[in-house]
Amino acid sequence: MSDKRDVSQPDRSSAESGLSRRAFIKGVGVTTATAAAATTAISQLHAETAPLPKGIRSAVVQTEINGKAYRLTVKTHWTLLDVLRRELGMTGTKKTCDRSSCGACTVLLDGKAVYACALLALDIDKRKVTTIEALSDGDRIDPIQEAFIREDALQCGFCTPGMIMSSKSLLDRNPYPTVAEVKEALAGNICRCAAYHKIIKAVTSVKA
Amino acid sequence: MNAEFRIIGKPQRRLDAFDKVTGRMKYTSDYSLPGMLHLKALRSPYPHARIVSIDAQRARALPGVRLVLTQKDFASVTWIPPQPAMSDVARFVGDEIAIVAAKDEETAIEALALIEVKYQPLAFVIDPEEALKPNAPKIFPQGNLIGGKPVVLSRGSIEKGFAEADLVYEARYSTPYLQHATAETRVSVAHWDAGKLTLWESTQGPFELQRAIAKALKIPVSKVRVICEATGGGFGDKGSPGRQAIYASTVARLTGQPAKMELERDENYLAATHRFPVICNLKYGVKKDGTLTAIQAKVTADSGAYSIAGQAALSSLECMASVYRCANMRGEAITAITNNPPTGPMRCVGHPQGTFAQEVHMDVIAEKLGMDPVEFRRKNHVHLEDGDQFRKIPFTSNGLAECITRGSDALQWGQRWARKPQTSGPVKRGLGMALHGCRHGSMLPVMALSGLVKVNVDGTVNVYTGATELGSGQRTTMGIIAAEVLGVLMDDVYVTAADTDMTTDTGTTTGSRQTNTGGNGVRLAALDARNQLLDIAATELKADKKSISIRDGKVFVGSSEKGVPLEDIASKAPGGVIVGRGVMRPPSDVFSHAFAAHFAEVSVDTRTGTVRVERLVAVHDLGRTINLLGAENQIQGGAIQGTAFCLSERQRFDTPTGICVNPDHLNYKLPTIKDAAPVEPMMVESIDAVGPFGAKGVGEPPYSGASPAIANAIYNAIGIRFTELPITNREVLARLQAGQGQRGEKR
Repeated sequence: MSDKRDVSQPDRSSAESGLSRRAFIKGVGVTTATAAAATTAISQLHAETAPLPKGIRSAVVQTEINGKAYRLTVKTHWTLLDVLRRELGMTGTKKTCDRSSCGACTVLLDGKAVYACALLALDIDKRKVTTIEALSDGDRIDPIQEAFIREDALQCGFCTPGMIMSSKSLLDRNPYPTVAEVKEALAGNICRCAAYHKIIKAVTSVKA
Repeated sequence: MNAEFRIIGKPQRRLDAFDKVTGRMKYTSDYSLPGMLHLKALRSPYPHARIVSIDAQRARALPGVRLVLTQKDFASVTWIPPQPAMSDVARFVGDEIAIVAAKDEETAIEALALIEVKYQPLAFVIDPEEALKPNAPKIFPQGNLIGGKPVVLSRGSIEKGFAEADLVYEARYSTPYLQHATAETRVSVAHWDAGKLTLWESTQGPFELQRAIAKALKIPVSKVRVICEATGGGFGDKGSPGRQAIYASTVARLTGQPAKMELERDENYLAATHRFPVICNLKYGVKKDGTLTAIQAKVTADSGAYSIAGQAALSSLECMASVYRCANMRGEAITAITNNPPTGPMRCVGHPQGTFAQEVHMDVIAEKLGMDPVEFRRKNHVHLEDGDQFRKIPFTSNGLAECITRGSDALQWGQRWARKPQTSGPVKRGLGMALHGCRHGSMLPVMALSGLVKVNVDGTVNVYTGATELGSGQRTTMGIIAAEVLGVLMDDVYVTAADTDMTTDTGTTTGSRQTNTGGNGVRLAALDARNQLLDIAATELKADKKSISIRDGKVFVGSSEKGVPLEDIASKAPGGVIVGRGVMRPPSDVFSHAFAAHFAEVSVDTRTGTVRVERLVAVHDLGRTINLLGAENQIQGGAIQGTAFCLSERQRFDTPTGICVNPDHLNYKLPTIKDAAPVEPMMVESIDAVGPFGAKGVGEPPYSGASPAIANAIYNAIGIRFTELPITNREVLARLQAGQGQRGEKR
């Protein structure tokens, strides 16, 4: 299949290639990112002449991360993942897709498993965040971590922190999950090495 | 498993599991250094275009931008053929044409939008068979056929073979573009200090990278240090040096600031390497008793714009040349360059493609002969005495027959397989199987093989291996081998992997080879260290060296039960130093071969076209199991990836523009935990003649047998033969609705 194009046609530079994700996030981040505002923002962006909300501001969020109080000055378009890894140097939480499609960035928000890349930093204001770093202290590790080691429920280990946080969210609610329940709870965590069967064994063995 | 070993073959905890489960392991993408610049690439939106001009003035003027580099900045840089460091002709959508280095990623991305590029779009071709036609646009001056002519393998007389056949069957098979989709994308962090470059890299080949960077920057190899404590997934993408490494290194040197280049996920899907698509035209001849008389194959591979795997099609053709005994064989391997993304090695390079084609072909022939597929394989597969017909060398081990028996027994094939199973109801069940054999798992004559072992004054041990830990457990495997040889406890062994300042080259961690290569290196180094310990012990304990043994960290004389702590001996080393060195030149005429048999049971819901793998028995001849948990993990993980090769993964390209339409995890269809086929790993130990303790590798082979076993099981279930991958539920449903597969009617 070949295609001949006339060089006299307007050149396509990357500036014209369409709305970048960053510009979208910039636009959304001015107001508190509730679902309603996000929906409104999307329909505005699709309208041809709708102006993007201007400017990025700094904002202060008060939050508790792993039991410690923080007062953070963030840009309104930063994601929670940006804040954890880049601003706070907490690199246990991993970035793999940055698009809410793999679960490597799973953390707990008020005890519930969420994707850090899908939340704005603003979303953690007055809320509690738990990351993988909270589950161990020196040589002491969480029973979930011990189970993962014992069952060799990992290979490259890059998805492991997110997988463990999702597991923790499940086990905190349901300490004796069935295999089907484990699969449902971890369906949002991709392990490309596919250590899945050992992961299932590890999670079902924690409280057993 | 083995009573004769204390550590080998027994479950051992992964040495880096603690750091990985706590989030403390530092991957390259976790690194951040003070003053670090972030690099982003401007990528071609065209599959083929000349870069007429680049105006980066506005980009350079953006506050926070430190540098913008274009092709002319890399014109004199030697990179890895066939890929230049940067091209002035874009050859695929996503090809790098400029690099911005800025204080943070956001500034770099903003700067990209300010670079004005004048492209001259050129005619492009994204179909390999079109690319080989005489009037196809030439992507390189020497034409689109790599090497200028097909690679031909030939033995016996193919004409004679077909003349002897009672039945000849010909068919075409094809497999698509895939991507490794490693959890950690390609990433480099470079730091230049007083003439020395330190490069943290997510890699499978630290020494290859070290040499390539030294050559590119025209500095001594001794002044380049590559460090990789853990790679967040490789699967073959990171064996060859990636462009992000030379970009980061160049920026670090030019600016004196640390430089990091981390590909975003969509960039990784575009510009990292890919599994090459393959078209196999197979024509086999058999006698009515099932003996193969002729194997003819034409394999065409689409290597994309850059073929990192070289003669890619040849690696698929190898399957037809070596798995079955046949005196008459003729094969052609044709690798075509196109304007698709670059391709390279991906788990079991070329073999999943070739094995899919061959094993479906064998299944069809078995049916035509009225033979049980397993019996047909038994009649023709290679045994130890047949040797490697492709390379004309002996096998160093061959456990294929046992793989077939054990897999067949596990699935109860003999009792349960029926040519046309009758399952009532809309969900149909079927059984299928496939064989595989390859030289993955072998030392390679062209590659280094070495290891270092140091025994400390307290009796603990440091092991240094050039192998990288990408999840297959190399670090642990090397520790196991060292501990077994020395007679120490695993707890007393610390393994340093992949640091070019401290470890020695033992080949890339690809090709399932490190158990064999790095393993032999560490084994030899540990033997050397042990020998030094025995010399000291003989003096200290006033005993005959031959009567001394070391077990669980204690030194024993003869049959005495009372052992002396190893540190009492180690601390007496002359100068306090015990260093074991292991270096070996792999023989040039010896390859270990891995063998496998996969047996699948599937159910197909004829209402939705959904295929479920109910059981996948994966039996692997790995010579000797060294790292038991690691081997199980590799077999399960590789086989699950292989099922996704069969059922879901495919990179799709828009034909009029050459643009990839699914460069993301959502639409590329990676298997989740709910999709994971239940894989039952089984290990056959044929005790290889050259591997350490008889071991061969097993990282890649599990990928290959899965897809044809499943495809054959689907046929058994619903009577529809799929010759193209992936077999999605949409494809299954479409064929069912077209009336195919009705038992007793047309097939």
